Formats: sequence, C-alpha cells, structure tokens
Amino acid sequence: MNIRTVYSLAVVLARSQIRGTQRNKFLARIFGEPRVILPVDLALLLGLGALGYAIVARMANDLRPILMPIMPKALAGIPSAIMFMAILFGVLYEISQPIQSLNTDLVNWLPMTPIEYVAGSTISESYIYSFVLCLLLGVVLGPALFFGMGWTWLATVALSVLALFVGAFVVEILDATTNRISSSFYKKSGRSGIIFRLIATVILLVFIQLLFSGYIINYLLQSIIQAALFAWFVPVVWPSLAVLSASQGNASNFVLFSASSAVFGAALFTVAAQFRARFWVPVPVSIKLTAGVYRPTKFRFPLIGAAESALIQKDLRSLTRRREMARFLAIPFVLAISIGISAFPLGTQPPPEAFGFFFIAILFALPVAIFVGALSMTSIGQEGYAIWNLYAAPIKPSQILRAKVLFAASLGLVFGIALLTIFAFLMHTVAAYYGMMLLIGALIVLETSTLGLYYAARFPDFREIVRSRYVGVWGSMLGLLTAMVASFLTIAPAAVSVYLYGYVSVEFTIATLVIGILISFGATRLALRQITRLFTNITI
Amino acid sequence: MAVKGVSFALESNQILGLLGPNGSGKSTLMKTMVGIMTPDAGSVTVQGLNVASSPIEVKRIVGFVPESPRLYEFLSGSEYLDFVATVHGLDLEARRERIPEFLKAFELEGRENELIHGYSQGMKQKLAIIAGILHRPRILILDEPLNALDPRSARIVKDLIHRLRDDGVPTVFSTHVLEIADAVCDRIVIMYNGEKLADGTVAELRSKAGTEGSSLEEVFLKLTGTSDTREIVEELTR
Repeated sequence: MNIRTVYSLAVVLARSQIRGTQRNKFLARIFGEPRVILPVDLALLLGLGALGYAIVARMANDLRPILMPIMPKALAGIPSAIMFMAILFGVLYEISQPIQSLNTDLVNWLPMTPIEYVAGSTISESYIYSFVLCLLLGVVLGPALFFGMGWTWLATVALSVLALFVGAFVVEILDATTNRISSSFYKKSGRSGIIFRLIATVILLVFIQLLFSGYIINYLLQSIIQAALFAWFVPVVWPSLAVLSASQGNASNFVLFSASSAVFGAALFTVAAQFRARFWVPVPVSIKLTAGVYRPTKFRFPLIGAAESALIQKDLRSLTRRREMARFLAIPFVLAISIGISAFPLGTQPPPEAFGFFFIAILFALPVAIFVGALSMTSIGQEGYAIWNLYAAPIKPSQILRAKVLFAASLGLVFGIALLTIFAFLMHTVAAYYGMMLLIGALIVLETSTLGLYYAARFPDFREIVRSRYVGVWGSMLGLLTAMVASFLTIAPAAVSVYLYGYVSVEFTIATLVIGILISFGATRLALRQITRLFTNITI
Repeated sequence: MAVKGVSFALESNQILGLLGPNGSGKSTLMKTMVGIMTPDAGSVTVQGLNVASSPIEVKRIVGFVPESPRLYEFLSGSEYLDFVATVHGLDLEARRERIPEFLKAFELEGRENELIHGYSQGMKQKLAIIAGILHRPRILILDEPLNALDPRSARIVKDLIHRLRDDGVPTVFSTHVLEIADAVCDRIVIMYNGEKLADGTVAELRSKAGTEGSSLEEVFLKLTGTSDTREIVEELTR
C-alpha cells in the first residue's frame, strides 16, 4: 500500500465531497481545504473543553449530582453515535448523488489498488465527519477532566476514532454491494425496479428523518446504553462497551472489547477492500421500461394544452424516477408522522377539545405549505443542465407557469386532502370545520405554488451536485418565510371569526377567499414576469 | 462580450459552416440565432421573423442541436422524443409516424424504451439530432452535431443536411473537423475572438489567405494566426 497515494486520494475525495455539497462559496473555499479542518477541529475540541470545564468548576455543587451519574453513559454513547452517524450520512450521500455523477470512472483509470482506494476513501469520510466527533468529545471533555475521568475520556477518543472508521468501512461495503446488485436488478426488473427503488428510498429517508426528530433522539439516547448492555454480542457496540468498562475500572473487559473492536475494524477493512476489488468497475445501468413497442398516446390533463400536459408528465416522471428527487416525495410522510408524534405522543390520548381551530389550522397548513413550497421552489432548478430543452422549445412563459403550478398544486391538494381526512378522524375540531379547512388548504396550495415558482425562477440552481437544493439559499429562505406569512394571513380571518363568534361566519369566509385569491394573483404576476426574464437568456 | 460585429445573411439552399478555435463565439452566436440568448446590440432575423420580438415563432421553425446536449436522463428515448414533438405541436398521428421512422433510421430501434441514462454518448447525440429535426424545421442550427457519432450515423446526418438543403432548408453547422467542413459546407465563416474573420467558399478563403491549392486546415491556421503548431510540437517533444 502506497501511503502517498492513499493520502492524495483522501485529500481529493474530501475536497470533492465538501466543495460539492457546500453551497456557500466562501465556506467551500475555506473548508474545502482538508488542511484547514484539523486546526478547526482542534480549536473546537479545546475551546468546548475549556468552556465546559469553566462552567462545571463554577457550578460544581449544582452540577455534580446531575452529571456524575450520566458521564459514563455519555462517554460510552459517543463511539456508537459517531459510527451510526457515519453510516447514515454515508448512505444519504450515496442516495443524494445525481444520476450523472454516479460514474466513478476517474478513480478506475488511476493506478491504485482496491486497498489504497478503500483506505483513502474511508480516511476522507472520517476526516469530513471529524468535526462532529470533536464537537461531541469537546462537550464531554470539561466535565470528564473535572470529575477525574481524564483516562476514560482518552479511551473514548481512541475508540470513537475507531468507530468512525468502522462506520466508513460499512458504507464502503454497502456502496460496492448495492452498486452491483442494483445494476443487475434494474436490468432485469425494468419499471418495477424503479418503483421498488422509489419506495425503498422514501422509506429509508423517512426512517432517517424521523431518527433526527427530537423526540426519537431523546428516546434513543436513553436506551442506547441499555441496548448496548443487552446486545454485548453485536460487534458495533463493542467500542461503547469498552468505554463503559474503562469508566467502571474493569481493565480486563476494557482490553477485551477494545481488542475485539480493533479486530472487527480490521476485518471490515479487509472485506471492504475485497468487495471493492470484486465490484471495481460499476456496470452501467440500463433500464428498459417496457418490452413492447412505444406508442405515443393522446393523453392530456384536463383544461390545459398539450405542451403543458407534456411538461407535467415529464416532471412527474422526474419526481418518481430520479433517486435524488425521492426526498421530496418523503416530505409528506415525514411531516405527517412528525406531526402525529408531536400531537399524539406515544402512549398518550389527548383530549380532542384541547385543539383550537387556529392551532389545528396551523398544524394542517404548515406541512401542506412546506410540501407544495418545496415542489414549487425546486421545479425550475431540478431541470438541471437539461433546461436548454425548454429554452429551445417553442413554449411560452405562461405555459411553463401553468404546468409548474399545476404540477405542485395537484400533488399538494392530494396530500392536503389526505392529511385533513386523517386529522378529521383523529380530532373532532377538524371534522366540525372540514369544509372550511378544505377551502383554506386549497387557497394555501394555490398561494404557495405560485409564490414558490416565483422564487424558483428568481433563484434557480441548475447545478447537478450531491444534495442539490435546486434553488438558491436566499430563495429557499425567503420562499419559506413568504409561504408562512401567506398561510398565516389566509387562516387569520377564519380564526378571528371562531374566536369572536365560535363559528366561521360568511363574511370572514369571504375575507379568507379574497386574501387567498389576491395573494395568488399577485404571486402569479410576479412568477410570470420572473419566468419571462429567466427564459430570455440562457444562464448555463 | 463573446460576439461582436458579426453580420451575415444565410441563403436558402446553403449550408454554412462556422469555424473557429475554442471560445471564438460560435456557440454564443448559434444560441443567439435560436433565441435563447439576447444580444446587447444588433438583431437576428430568421425567415423574416425577428428573433428578439418573436422568439416562440422562431423556435417553431428552427431545429437546434447544442454542443454536448444534455437530455432528460430519466426518460426513455421514445418518451423524450414524444415530449419534444408534443411541445413543438405535432399531433398524435405525426408523432406515431415520425418517431419510429427516425429511431429506425438512426439505429435506435429496440433501445427506445430504455432510460436515456443508460445510453452511450453517441446514442444521446443521435437522439438530440432526431429531436432537432423531428418537427421538420425550416432552418437547422447544429453545434458540433457529428460529435461522438459512428461513421454510419455521421453519414446519415451529412446526407440529411444535403437533402434538406436541396429542399430549401438551410443549415448553420459548426465543427472543429475541417475535413468535414470542407466536404459538407457550401460556405464558411471563420470566427476568432468573437469576430468574423473571413466569409466565403473554400476557394474564396484560400484566395484571401493567399494559400491557393492548400487544405482548409492551412487556410484556417493562416487566417487565425495559429500556424505555429510545428514549433509547439517541437517544444513538447524536446
């Protein structure tokens, strides 16, 4: 193994991943240089350590009874948490890669062995996530030193670094395996393979998103050490058990679990290198949708022209066939489940009367606005560099506007009605105001889709990079804020009516309608002007 | 400014070759002619239509193939062509008739239901060319159209351009391969640093460069002042 090759590859891969995912040019330039990461990591670690030490020293009497019992668990949780995070983010990174960047040919041409590649790749991944590791270790450094657990902290450092590498090795194995399996699978299964991939990706994304919700994290943190103790035979918890043994002064167990962790890491590295060697060159994926002869159809969405229909059909195919677009389809599920968990915490039965009209309306409007806004704000940028097809086509800006708004609005309406119906079954308040909520939902869908399109055309991001937003940072922030304000204004008259009279009066219903229509009309005018401007000069 | 002071009129029954080194403004000029870039000054008129004031009408009658065209990779070849044909206003009958016809001519038959993502570069180029001519345009603007094509398909494109020229459909054609320009084009415009350096038939260009009897390559190098290639090779192999 040539160490210089490994180092060079690690630097190149780290640069490529940071610069590819960091949208802020200044930050990308600073942190895109691996040499900068290490001093930043060290400064973070020592800074947090010093701050933590100062706080604990100042409030020793108050904090001692709280921190002393949880310190061993906190230290032991770090290796497992960091390994878990490395695997999750590694998998997410692979999923979010646009179809065009999946080709790893460049690496294949270079004169390097599979072992060198795996070593370089895992070092680069560990390097990127070292920031989080230093953050976690920095937080516990101060209390650990103050309470005389310095040696346990040092053991945590060593085992966390090992755990980080173990996570990176797992990602390497998954990457190589799925590459080959999915290539063969798609070749044989065609359209059903795409559907399966979509469902699997959405489920995975929903699972990952939910893991990061505060409620579930809290639950996991509480049970992680408990689980580790029960699952001592599972290799991935060995680093945590080694730290726990160190904190308990159990030297033999510490040596046993540390040595086992190291052996496990080495075994995974060997497997990853062998998998990489076996599946070194990815097979180009060739997916045949149907075996029959393709026949253009007369299909057209109602009330719109053929060109708009073709655009909507294309965007639907983009949403359901592109792996990197699956995250948008996951949004409704994530939001619905998150809201469900917040509204009905596990094991509790809230009284339906507790939910006021305004609260429910916001609870309903928020996910609908977010989903429609996300679809609409990304509708221009998601075209990517293939946008020239629209520039060169004889399509008027008004046709593009109609197609993009209808696309986001129709999906948003389906989601809104489904969500509202579920809410109506769960909460009496919603059932009583179902019609009013439906009207509010429809208006919010219309407002958000037109507003979103304005920001999509004003701040498009056509870059085909990993985890692309398809809309500039300012665009997404302003778009979200405007959508929230518009939703709030639309809900306000009905909410005021319920507050004053206990029901929604006709006058206030008309006010809601007028506000919704005015906002949508204004946003449509703005969006049309912006689309016209955008399609005057190609920017890519 | 990528292009400045360029002016020429394209006759029907004419194939005009745009030649020039990388970055000379050929692609910018072509995008301006299609109406996807707006010039700061000057105007482009296509068959009596001003591109700036009637971009949609111009796009209806123009067939455009950009350099290294990016297609919608999540669509199959036939879905992509169907999409392009629909936005160009082709009715169902025309789509059902022309799409299989072109797919067969460019040897994409049997692969049309595969996602474009799995296509080779040459297959993608063929698809882009079909998309450019499917709606039977009245003028063709092709930016390096023969890139990545196999010899048979390249020959089909060249013959097609000649046939369309004979039917009164002119073509603006850019290429780096001077032999192709020599063989295909009736007239050549040489661009350099965004300006038109020369305009005429190959014989007229030879005469202008004072290199009678020489190849188009020598004419090009002479006119663009880049004929120091021999010294560069000497330097590289020293």
